[in-house]
Formats: sequence, structure tokens, C-alpha cells
Amino acid sequence: MISAITTNLPIFVIIIPLFIAFILPTFSRRMKLVEGVVISTETLWLLGAGYLASVVLLQNGTPIIYNMGGWAAPWGIELKVDSLGAFFMIVVTCINLPVALFAKGNLTKEVGAKERVTRFYVLLLLLGGAMVGMALTNDLFNVFVLVEVATLSCCGLVSANSNPRASEAAFKYLILATLGSTFVLGGIGFILNITGYLNMGFAHQEMVQVWQNSPHAIWLAMSFVLIGFGVKSALFPVHVWLPDAHSNAPTPASAILSGLAVKGYIICFLKFMYTVFGQNLMQQFNMHKILVLAGMIAIIAGSLFALTQNELKRRLAYSTVAQIGYLFLGLGLMNTKGLTGTLFYLFSHALIKSSLFLAAGTMIAATGKKKISDLAGVGRKMPITMGVFTIGILGLIGIPLFSGFVGKWYLLLGSLESGNILAAIVIIVGSVLCAAYLLPIIRIAYFEPAPEKDLRDPALPQKIALIMLAAGVIILGILPGSILELASRAAAELLMIQ
Amino acid sequence: MRDFIFKRIAAIIIPFICIYGFYVILHGASAAGGSFAGGIILGLAAIVFSTIYGLKKGKKKFPEKVLFCIESYGTLFYGIIGMIGIINGAPFLANKLAGIDLGIPGTLTSGGLIGLLGLGVGIRVANTLLILFFTMEGADS
Repeated sequence: MISAITTNLPIFVIIIPLFIAFILPTFSRRMKLVEGVVISTETLWLLGAGYLASVVLLQNGTPIIYNMGGWAAPWGIELKVDSLGAFFMIVVTCINLPVALFAKGNLTKEVGAKERVTRFYVLLLLLGGAMVGMALTNDLFNVFVLVEVATLSCCGLVSANSNPRASEAAFKYLILATLGSTFVLGGIGFILNITGYLNMGFAHQEMVQVWQNSPHAIWLAMSFVLIGFGVKSALFPVHVWLPDAHSNAPTPASAILSGLAVKGYIICFLKFMYTVFGQNLMQQFNMHKILVLAGMIAIIAGSLFALTQNELKRRLAYSTVAQIGYLFLGLGLMNTKGLTGTLFYLFSHALIKSSLFLAAGTMIAATGKKKISDLAGVGRKMPITMGVFTIGILGLIGIPLFSGFVGKWYLLLGSLESGNILAAIVIIVGSVLCAAYLLPIIRIAYFEPAPEKDLRDPALPQKIALIMLAAGVIILGILPGSILELASRAAAELLMIQ
Repeated sequence: MRDFIFKRIAAIIIPFICIYGFYVILHGASAAGGSFAGGIILGLAAIVFSTIYGLKKGKKKFPEKVLFCIESYGTLFYGIIGMIGIINGAPFLANKLAGIDLGIPGTLTSGGLIGLLGLGVGIRVANTLLILFFTMEGADS
């Protein structure tokens, strides 16, 4: 029995959340039961992901291969739990659990009826399952299907709020994200046409041999994939949907969207670039330079946009645009340190941004105001919420002993190693700008006179969720240990593919 | 469209549409078609019924609760069929490896579990189509 579960765990971590999500609506009125089922599923999911990651870590890089229906690749669909997949699985489950906990007993106020709350949980589990699937699958068409599942769940999450602005943002997101999906599908079509395979490993082997026959088609495929995933993960010039969508969604939804959803597409992009095209082809078509340039522009522009925002959630959303720039910059550096930095920064930003959004949502709900200037004195009245918010800010700026520092440090080392001084300067300037737009919030919250209004920290589950995320930020900053090990091993594995 | 001729013709045709839908679904493993195509045919049969006999009768025939249950448990059905493989010590969605007798190639049962899977998916596709139709019709009035 136990061996049946452990050998089939790679498929269970994908399908169990999906199936639980579909059963939830049948008892949508019994809120306690729904919340219990969701939180226990998330906990089991975290344990399963942790087990798989530890197995991968102990095997020294030999991936766990799971063939659906017993058909080996390239005939069957293959799930591959390598270091990258295991790493992202940990990220997904580590963010999903606190967010589900935060939503417990808290969401009805924000979204309205009980059915709408259940719908939120359904979409949360669907999104998580699809994200884990994206990380594990080794099949190009599966990637597309899971990307679609994730995108549609994201649209649902944005529109979970019943106000018209949320609907408008969701519609905008739907249009742009569908455009992105179309580009991704086009890219996959080109790859299939060039190589004749949908399995990533086989497609890569074929691609290396035949790329000189049709360089233009490969260039098109690469740029389609870049634009498709760029739109979905809000790379700078095509980020326009993100600020509206992330600031109008209900609090837990914006945490999961900003913290996790955009990262899944980056992981997919990483897999396309490094495991399907390979680094030689990337260099051949100068893709690495494009990525570094796009990343640098995104860091500077996102930070400058964030500086001009007065609404708390919008400022955080623009900050996400800037941080996505760091991730793309790291992808283009093409060395182990840069990729390790990208992956580690991805995890740390997921933790930080979800804690920031959850804390910000709590403060907005308590004060009833959205502007930053209205937060005067909140820090003294809501010590835990604002404490978590402060930890998140310090982490995002990249102060040592917080998780953001480790990621940025590796990115910096990577850009110096590749001889790109400009990228190194941009990383530091980005940190300074980040301090410039986030530190004033701390000043306003702690050092300005408090309002007369009675403000209080949220209830116990919300407190636990916030503290879990903040503890994650600090633990990753002080003892990055096995997570950093997993990230660097994933980077080394990706760079081994020529 | 409460026309007598329409109603009589629909009453004669709808059963055949349904049979054709099930035919396409069940022969998904051995011939062209499959659960998506067949499911659409089944869903269209239900939509034809609701347009010709009126939305009220259609909603009575296919109550919302039942539709939502199929929506939820249809997916679970897929999972349970997939689990047969795991219970018999083979991977998820295994067919022959799970010890299913596939019979003579080309016959109806030669798909093994695929027939059952297809039936689940097909009914769910039909169901989704119907839910979409009812939602859009409801939004109109």
C-alpha cells in the first residue's frame, strides 16, 4: 500500500488537488467542511512534495521518471521529477498552504456568498495542481494544457470579487493571457513541425541535429515562446494586465497570483529555453542577451512605475513587475550562479510577495482605505501584521539575513561572472529603488500619529498564515541550506544540457 | 418554437442523435471520433430538446443539481478509472498492464478501459455544453 503511494506520488501530487477541487462544489454550503478538506489537502500535498524533493536530493540528481499508463516516451506522456520540478513543487505547496489558511473564515466578507468562497478554493486548488503539473511534465502539449488550466483559474480568481473593476481587470487579463496562450501554442507547433516530437528530451536531441535546416523557424518558435510566456508572466512591455488584475483581486487571490501564478510560467519558459532549445541554440540566436536586456528594462521601469503609485496594492503589483525583471535577467546569464540566483529569488519572492499582499490586504480591510497615506500609525495598532509587512519589505530590498539577499547575491555573482557589469549595476539600482518605494510605508505606519479608530490584528488562522510566511523569509535568509542546494543542482542540471 | 412539426420531428430524431453520440464515444478507441466529439453530439441533442420544447421543459428534464453533480463526479469517475491501474500495481491510467483483457483488436471492447474513460469524459462534455447553454440563455432573459 505504502509502496504503491510512494511510487505513484509524482502523479498524485498533480491529480489529487485537481480532483478535490472538482468535488468541493457538491458540498459548497458547508463552509467548515470545505475549509477543513482544503487545508488538509494542502498539508498532505506539502508533505508529498517534500518527500519527492528529499528523494530527488538523496538520489544526487537522478530524476524520478513516471510513465503515464506504462507507455515509455516518446509514445507515452512522461512526468519527470528532476531537481527543477521538485524545487518548484516545494515553492507551490509552501505558498498554497498559508494562503488557504489565511482565507479560512475570512473570505466571506470580501467576496460575498458562501458559494463564491467555495469557488475561490476550487480555483486555488486547480491553479496549484496545474502549477505542479507544469513543473513536472516533460511533454510540450501537456505544458500547454496545464498553462490554459492555470490561466483560466487565474481569471476566475481575479473576478472572485464582485465589484465591476475586478470584472474589467479579469476581462483584460483573459484577452491578453489568451493571446499569450496562442503564441505558446504556435511555438509548440513550430517545435513539433521541426523535430516531430512532443517529448522535451527527444525534441531537444532532434533539434540539435536539424536546427541548421530551418533556423528561421526555430527563431520564430523561440520568439513565440518568449512572447507567450512573457505576456503571462508580465515581462515589462507586456505587463499591462498585471497591476489591475493583482490589485483588484481579493486578498488571498492577489497573494497567490503575484506570489505564485506568474512564477509558473517562468518555470515553463525556463524549461522551454534550456531543455528544449538548449543553451547553444540560445546563444546562437542571442536569446540570452535579449533576456538580460528585457530583465534590466523591467527592473528599472517597474520600480519607477511603483514609485508613482499611491495605492498600496498597486504599488506592490508594480513591484512584482520589477522583480519579474530580476528573474528574466538571471535566466539570460547562462551560468550556474545566475540560474541558482533566479531560482532562489523566485522562491524568496514568492514568500515575500504573498506575505506582503496578505498583510496589505489585512490592513486595507481593517482601515477600509486603499491609499498608503491612510496607513498612518497602523504599525502600533496591528503589530503582527505590520511586523510581517516589515520583514517582507526588508527581504524584498535584499537586506542580509533575509531571503531576498541570498537570491540577489547569487544574481550579482552570476552577472559579474558573465562579465556583465551593467546588469550588476542594475541589480543594485533596483534594490535602491525598491527601498525608495517601500521604506516610506514603514515610516508612515510606525512614526506617524495613529488614528482614533480601533484597529486590531486579524484572527488566529490569519496570524498563523502571516507568521508562517514571515518565518519562511527569515529561515531562507539565515539557513538557505537544502533549498539552495536543490536550486543550484537544478541550475547545474539545466546547464549540462548543451 | 412550439411548432407541431418541429416537435414531432425532434421526437423522432433525438433518440437517433443520442445513439449516434454514444456510438462515436464508444468507438473512440478503434475508429475516428472519441469522447469529445461524441460528447458534443450528446450535448447538442439535449440543446435541441430544450430549444424546441422550451427552456422550462429542458431545465425540468436536466435539473441544475444533477448537472452540477455530473460536473463534479464526472471528473472523479475519470480518476477512479485511472486508479484501477494503481490498484493492480501498474501506473496511473494503465490499461493492459492493469490486467484488463483487451480481446480481439478492432472490436468494441478492444479499448479496455478507454471505453469507460471515454464514456465519463463524453457525458461530462455534454454536461458542460448544456450548462453553458443554460447559463447563456438565462443571461439573455
